[in-house]
Amino acid sequence: MPRDLLSVRDLTTRFFTQEGQVNAVEKVSFDVEEGEVLGIVGESGSGKSVTALSLVDLVEDPGRIVTGEINYRNSELAESASENAPDAVDGDFVDVRKLPERHRRALRGPDFATIFQDPASSLNPSLPVGEQIAEAVEVQRRASANPRSTRSRTQSYGLGKFLLGTALPGQGYLTEESKARAIELLELVGIPDPAERAEALPHEYSGGMLQRAMIAQALAGEPELLIADEPTTALDVTIQAQILDILGDIQEETGMTILLITHNLGVIARMCDRVGVMYAGEIVERGSLEDVFDNPVHPYTQGLLGSIPDLESAGGRLQPIEGNVPSLLDQEMEDRCYFADRCPNAMEECLEKPPEFPGPGSPDHAAKCYLADHPYEPEQALPEDYFDDESSDTTVGRDDGKDDASGEGVSADD
Amino acid sequence: MTESLLEVRDLEKHFYERDTLVDRALGGEPVSIQAVDGVSFDVREGETLGLVGESGCGKSTCGETLLRLQDPTGGTVRFDGEDVLDLSGDDLRSFRRNAQVVFQDPFSSLDPRMTVGATVRQPLDVHSVGTKAERTERVCELLERVGLSSDQYDRYPHEFSGGQRQRIGIARALALEPDFIVLDEPTSALDVSVQAQILNLLSDLQDEFDLTYLLISHDLSVIRHISDRVAVMYLGELVEVGPVADIFESPKHPYTQALLESVPRASTDERDREIETLSGDVPSPRNPPSGCRFRTRCPSVIPPEDVTIDQREYRQIMDVRERIESREVDLDSAWEYVADEQPSSGGSSLRSLLGDDVREDPFRERHAEAFVDRLEERMLDVELSGSHAQTVRSALHELCYEDWEGAASILAEEYESVCEVVSPALQDDRTHPVACHLYDQPDSVTANVADADVSAPVGDTVRTDGAESD
Ligand code: SF4
Ligand code: SF4
Repeated sequence: MPRDLLSVRDLTTRFFTQEGQVNAVEKVSFDVEEGEVLGIVGESGSGKSVTALSLVDLVEDPGRIVTGEINYRNSELAESASENAPDAVDGDFVDVRKLPERHRRALRGPDFATIFQDPASSLNPSLPVGEQIAEAVEVQRRASANPRSTRSRTQSYGLGKFLLGTALPGQGYLTEESKARAIELLELVGIPDPAERAEALPHEYSGGMLQRAMIAQALAGEPELLIADEPTTALDVTIQAQILDILGDIQEETGMTILLITHNLGVIARMCDRVGVMYAGEIVERGSLEDVFDNPVHPYTQGLLGSIPDLESAGGRLQPIEGNVPSLLDQEMEDRCYFADRCPNAMEECLEKPPEFPGPGSPDHAAKCYLADHPYEPEQALPEDYFDDESSDTTVGRDDGKDDASGEGVSADD
Repeated sequence: MTESLLEVRDLEKHFYERDTLVDRALGGEPVSIQAVDGVSFDVREGETLGLVGESGCGKSTCGETLLRLQDPTGGTVRFDGEDVLDLSGDDLRSFRRNAQVVFQDPFSSLDPRMTVGATVRQPLDVHSVGTKAERTERVCELLERVGLSSDQYDRYPHEFSGGQRQRIGIARALALEPDFIVLDEPTSALDVSVQAQILNLLSDLQDEFDLTYLLISHDLSVIRHISDRVAVMYLGELVEVGPVADIFESPKHPYTQALLESVPRASTDERDREIETLSGDVPSPRNPPSGCRFRTRCPSVIPPEDVTIDQREYRQIMDVRERIESREVDLDSAWEYVADEQPSSGGSSLRSLLGDDVREDPFRERHAEAFVDRLEERMLDVELSGSHAQTVRSALHELCYEDWEGAASILAEEYESVCEVVSPALQDDRTHPVACHLYDQPDSVTANVADADVSAPVGDTVRTDGAESD
């Protein structure tokens, strides 16, 4: 029986922007089992990336985690935290949000490692790649060499950062072992001639190589959980295939737990055991890969699968989801199913927020949709123009496109 | 057969790079980047030709060059019988009306200070079409046609979503009733649910207005979905062209095969699908490989006729050659490793062990075998059999004395491939031509093979496609 490594409850993250409050992640709950690859799939604005950032406490201003628990199973941590943060502990689980900030941040690397779409966010452009990976190795060594008390871990981590950052600038590798380990890691992720490449600066790497280096850096911490947010989105498909291969192999060999966040359903299908589908800040459907891909009940999941052009067969019309991603601005959100304005099956009752119902598939299968509970009732259907007034106003300022970097948090994802 | 609306022949776009101060100080030759290098294809009236390839392969440059948004460095482009590259004055204006483009990024391609109406109207204004009132009316029609509302005439781009902005770009491209539109990654910035809306719109518009499309995309599913024929591009060259079903169901070129295999399918069987991933990165267009440009990654690269070797071993040896030829092998660290393994010497005194005159060096002499072992261990993923292992060891042995050229020539002599010596070409009498030596090649290529005195596959080994010549 697999155990949960991470158990997230009612995680709610909001952005407090000039335009108003943006509900990016709304009461999201999920469990990550030890040794599994859990996928979270969604389009831009769905809240998937903010969810990832929330787990590692990297949400930036004006964003804030408002409520929720992030329970992490780690008996040693639980034991030591019971001294200085007894509130945070429940059995073997520690609610990392209740740990003092410094202790929480110390989990980054040895416990939770991240890889992102853009390697530039993880690698310092002015230090040789190998040195940065060796740094991560050092942090891990210190973390595991010390008795696992939050206090000493944090101190050693802080001290290590201090030494690396200030006392020994440009001194290169701290120890020969960590250098050797860095080279091994580069080799593991498929970088040819790793000893030489370790000396190179990030800009001397190609995109695919940089992505590998970032994976090596994440692995250096021997993390309990790897959070991979769109790890292959910026890459060409032949390189993507290489990177997914490497991640898959490493996962199989080490049994590492991975939380994989992507918009790409193909990547999910290739890598994941279980999946959660996010829409407008909520997980609207969850289950095993088979539940979600072969037997989806939520009309959004169905729509998403129906919109992908098929590589295996010729044209024909696609079944797009009509309309646009809804506003996540609090003042514009109504207390209804957020998909109702685009849903082909919207009914009267959908104007009231659906709870999560069990789905027809595996015991894990569940969906936030009345259709999971009972069949569609045509006589209950909302009139087709029900949302029209609303949408002619609310589509303005909305975004369904991916590169809304300028969205100032209106679409807080991506 | 339908007539060609667009005929592209030997199109070439080389950029010259001589940017850095060092380059200028040294007065070196400018480096040429062969973004598009001799590309030929036709786009037939009413069809969609999909041009697919990975980033940096030159597909977008190709689209921009044939529209004269950039000047080509060679080749010809004929549109409706006229030589596009010769056009000027009114003829050029009329070409520009007739051939439009929709770009990937609906955010940067729209002027943020112009209303949507003005944006769509601009081409009508520039070409002074009709009266002002007529233009305004036409714009309203266009907005409605692409799924927006004429009430949105006075809104600004930032008020629209990505999908809506792409609709604005499409309305603008349609304004002058063109015959031909280049769609350059039209849906790459969009979410998949919105991408589906735009793809449906594009195919409706094609039917309604008899449009001819050149669709440029890296997304194979999109290409498959709306193309009639497909051209596959790699490092500035076309490697295969054919009807969409042929390309996707029986791809011939090893690159096309690898590309298709690499796409993860959104289905529950995906986890169990075995794929052979390509090794390595795309080489730089500054210095493309000789012969077939795909040969540095090609799993089917052709061994010389007189060499009997397992294909995986051959691929491995070609990778080793590549690394030796580009001197990308870290010899120092291999020596350090060897020195560390010696009980007496210890790694720190390596420098003193290795004298200046390396040939005379007793340490190297003594530990050559261990050094070669170490290199083998580091460089080979596939175990080599018998004589091949011997040959590779003797080449690596040259590296003991830093004789890179010696090492390279041992391997080149034994393993030179036709793929590195002669460039393959597309056969021009086929519906599904492929530029690869595994298939029968045009006479010009065969003649080059004969001249170069390399062994090309002959007789049974050539994959012919007799049935399809037309
Ligand atoms: S709850 Fe109603 S509106 Fe929402 S997805 Fe289900 S059927 Fe559609
Ligand atoms: S010509 Fe040779 S290297 Fe090029 S694709 Fe064909 S077999 Fe591969």
